[in-house]
Amino acid sequence: MSSIERSDSELLRIRLIFVVMVSAFAFLALALMREQVFHASQYRHSSERQSMRRVRVSAERGRILDRNGVCLADNRPSFCIAVYVEELRQPGRWKRTVKKVMDVLDEIEGVIGLEKELTEEDVYKHIRKKLPLPLVAWRDVDQRILARMAESGKVLPGVDIYYEPVRVYPAHKYAAHVIGYVGRADIDEENYHFYLPEMDGRRGIERVYNEQLAGEAGGKLLRVDASGFRHDETREKEAVAGRDLVLTIDLHIQRALTKALEGNRGAAVLMDPRNGNVLALVSAPSFNPNLFSPAISAKDWKSINGDPEVPLLNRAVAGLYAPGSTFKPMTAIAAMETGVASGVTHYNCPGYFKLGNVTFRCWKKSGHGNIGMQKAIEQSCNAYFCQLGIKCGIERIYTASDFCGFGHITGIDLDGEKQGLMPNDAWKRKALRDGWRQGDTCNISIGQGAILATPLQMAVFTAAIANGGNVFRPRLTAQIPDQGDLLRRMTWSPATLQVVRAGMRDVIQADTGTGKRARIDAAEMAGKTGTAEYGSRENRKNNTWMTVFAPYDNPRYAMAVIVQDGDSGGRTCAPIVNEVMSEVFAREEGAGRGI
Amino acid sequence: MLFEKVHVLGSMHKLMLMALIALMTIGVFFIFSACYISEDQPMKILYLKQMLWIGVGMLLYLLIAMNDYRAMRKYVWGFYFASLALLAAVLLFAPEISGSKRWLIVFGIYVQPAEFAKLATLLLLAHVMTRPTFDHNSWRWLFALLGLIAMPCLLISKQPDLGTAATLGIMGSGMMFAGGLRLRNLLLLAAIGVLVISIPLGFLLAYEKMGVEQEKKERVVKMIGLREYQVRRLLGFFSAENDPLGSGWNKMQSKIAVGSGGVNGKGFLKGTQNILGFLPKSVAPTDFIYSVIAEERGFIGSMVVIGLFVLVFACGTLIALETRDEFGRLICAGFMVLVFFHSFVNIAMTVGLLPITGLPLPLLSYGGSFTVMTLAGFGFVQSVHIRSRRPVEY
Repeated sequence: MSSIERSDSELLRIRLIFVVMVSAFAFLALALMREQVFHASQYRHSSERQSMRRVRVSAERGRILDRNGVCLADNRPSFCIAVYVEELRQPGRWKRTVKKVMDVLDEIEGVIGLEKELTEEDVYKHIRKKLPLPLVAWRDVDQRILARMAESGKVLPGVDIYYEPVRVYPAHKYAAHVIGYVGRADIDEENYHFYLPEMDGRRGIERVYNEQLAGEAGGKLLRVDASGFRHDETREKEAVAGRDLVLTIDLHIQRALTKALEGNRGAAVLMDPRNGNVLALVSAPSFNPNLFSPAISAKDWKSINGDPEVPLLNRAVAGLYAPGSTFKPMTAIAAMETGVASGVTHYNCPGYFKLGNVTFRCWKKSGHGNIGMQKAIEQSCNAYFCQLGIKCGIERIYTASDFCGFGHITGIDLDGEKQGLMPNDAWKRKALRDGWRQGDTCNISIGQGAILATPLQMAVFTAAIANGGNVFRPRLTAQIPDQGDLLRRMTWSPATLQVVRAGMRDVIQADTGTGKRARIDAAEMAGKTGTAEYGSRENRKNNTWMTVFAPYDNPRYAMAVIVQDGDSGGRTCAPIVNEVMSEVFAREEGAGRGI
Repeated sequence: MLFEKVHVLGSMHKLMLMALIALMTIGVFFIFSACYISEDQPMKILYLKQMLWIGVGMLLYLLIAMNDYRAMRKYVWGFYFASLALLAAVLLFAPEISGSKRWLIVFGIYVQPAEFAKLATLLLLAHVMTRPTFDHNSWRWLFALLGLIAMPCLLISKQPDLGTAATLGIMGSGMMFAGGLRLRNLLLLAAIGVLVISIPLGFLLAYEKMGVEQEKKERVVKMIGLREYQVRRLLGFFSAENDPLGSGWNKMQSKIAVGSGGVNGKGFLKGTQNILGFLPKSVAPTDFIYSVIAEERGFIGSMVVIGLFVLVFACGTLIALETRDEFGRLICAGFMVLVFFHSFVNIAMTVGLLPITGLPLPLLSYGGSFTVMTLAGFGFVQSVHIRSRRPVEY
């Protein structure tokens, strides 16, 4: 092979090498195209999945205000001292980072003088589960301590102060059963990697209107680095703060009513008979809802939940009691509206009423003599109403009461409402497997026996008498225009109403009336007392009642009060009504014009 | 005299020089991007150090280009043995850094003698193959060449640095092919080589898949003479998905970086894989600089780099074809093969087509000795170009 020929073949070989180079790089270009052009979205997804964490951020909860704008539930900032672990990270093993965090915590401890609660184990747990989030070391720290920290001038890297909103109830125990309380929410949404503490309503208005109050949670996107530390964050969705809620409650009246019931077990509801707006709703004894925020301690929970007086029970809507004599107006209406009796119907009261071998006693042993309808209401004569009831018959009483709302929930916007019980023959056969007797009718006529009602139902009933027969849904939030939610319109005749109302007026305004202790100077009132007996023959106890509406001519207030184990309606409840209604009218006067 | 020498530079291959400068500029920018987020001061200024190395390399480049490469014939044996001595010194004195000995510390500067050995071997092979006594058809000369290649290869693989050793082997083979050695002999040799490499590798892979006990595996590994981490890397290439946190991590993260760059990239300094440390910061400016470019500049950026490399190869090949001097031609061809192998293996590794080898990307990756060596090599190519135009005067 000559030198020239060899050189030619060498040139060919070099060209061949170049061809190999170019094809190899063309191959790389194709591979890159496959990854970067055709599979890009898939890789972008893996890149995001390994570096993005979604955090759910709760919205600020709306406030709850009374009708005059007084705050009943608010948020206060609770300051937390938190440590950003990513700023304290140490190279090498986790142990070193944990040690660094513990050192910083010790240092803060020295500055603020509060003992640290976190253990090394807690720090490890935080690193395992919530590394990109700040580690909260001290929760709800006093502002003075924060000031001390700022004054110390010590530079503490990786330490920050942030606040979480904590629910506060400025009205304390005065509106506890209406407002309710919040608890830490359980969120079962899988869209997020992490959740920040969030509250939701557990009882009362907080629960019923939770959706409106809670607002809409937002989201944060945290970008984490290869070790899982927070790198930066962007807000993905702004949280929408909850809306404020204005109640129909008047804190002033609410407070007066609570004070009047203090020391008793009982409940009271005061509403506007013109539209069903609830101005005050009280259950006694009450509790301090602030104990539940941000979280109730085990000790407090035990003491409040184990209290024999059951302060957590909202007796106004969930307490069931025999209405006693406060039910008598219903018997009277039923009898008159069905034509069985009229305003001039008279019966004789010898002090008792004998039915077979059973004797129903009237409270007045000497008897009322021959007595008419209006007087019988004023005097709350048992003998009269037993005879009236028997003449009328249970089914008529039942139909009228049922239509008026006894035995049904009123539909108030509160949780846990009970429907009570309005018995009749069908009920008794089903529940007790026994037939209805006339003695049962006697009992029901005077509000005793199996009948059960909530104080709220009695208030709604009283309001219906006051407003001429409109059964409104009692409500705690009002829309504008303020017309009320009319549930049913009673077809009570003016004549019937006139007799019943006049009788009820005499209860308070007549000097012989059973409820005369309730009388006030500011307005003419009407009402009915009641004393429902319960318990065994040896251990008789009285649930004492009073219903009232005022002013007599143009009623703006209707109220029902019950005190458990009181003396009698007239002696126990009438003074409470007096106290509260004096306050209500005094306030009206002060404000120039009422509600 | 000096003026004349500088004047010669006017006839340099300017297109090639521009391509080199473009690649190195891209390299500096993305070394900055790979490190700017680091809290480590030395890492942060890595791009400045790279600029310093480029400066040193460019000086050497111009110096070599100015002078006649043919004068090197006198020194090739000296360089060769000096490089062997340095490689031996590495094995004896170099500090062990993460399991291997690669660097000699001279006045505080880390020097990688393996890079010097590449150049020395290149020059020696070109010299030997163009001596008048050289016989292209004889087996004896072929084995002599193999011996010359094998000596630095063995010393380097003892460090151990299999990637660089393989580079030397490929460069040698390419030169033997380009130098006109008998094709039949070369093919026979290649066939034997493939067998020798693939049989134990096949065993290893088969063992891995079948789950043979550790002891037996270790015996095979020892027989082949590989280190534990090398086996892991090799196997990691074939089964990265099975072990995403172990040896497959870099490969997987690099693939995600390249792929998630898409067509347009995430933007300069905005490569999240690198910023968030999924692509380990220790390798991002060196072995995985191409991932950073591909992530931040996307398919377009990747193609620009690929195109510049192809341009460099085309220029080098043209120079080799144009020169009438065989020595110069072999220097060009050998050096192009060297640069090609480095860049191909590196890019293929970033895309996940080849196992992680630890070969840097010429002109782009951070590295002192490597950058200086690469520029010196291109200096020789440039010198060949200048002399091939004016073979007589200078």
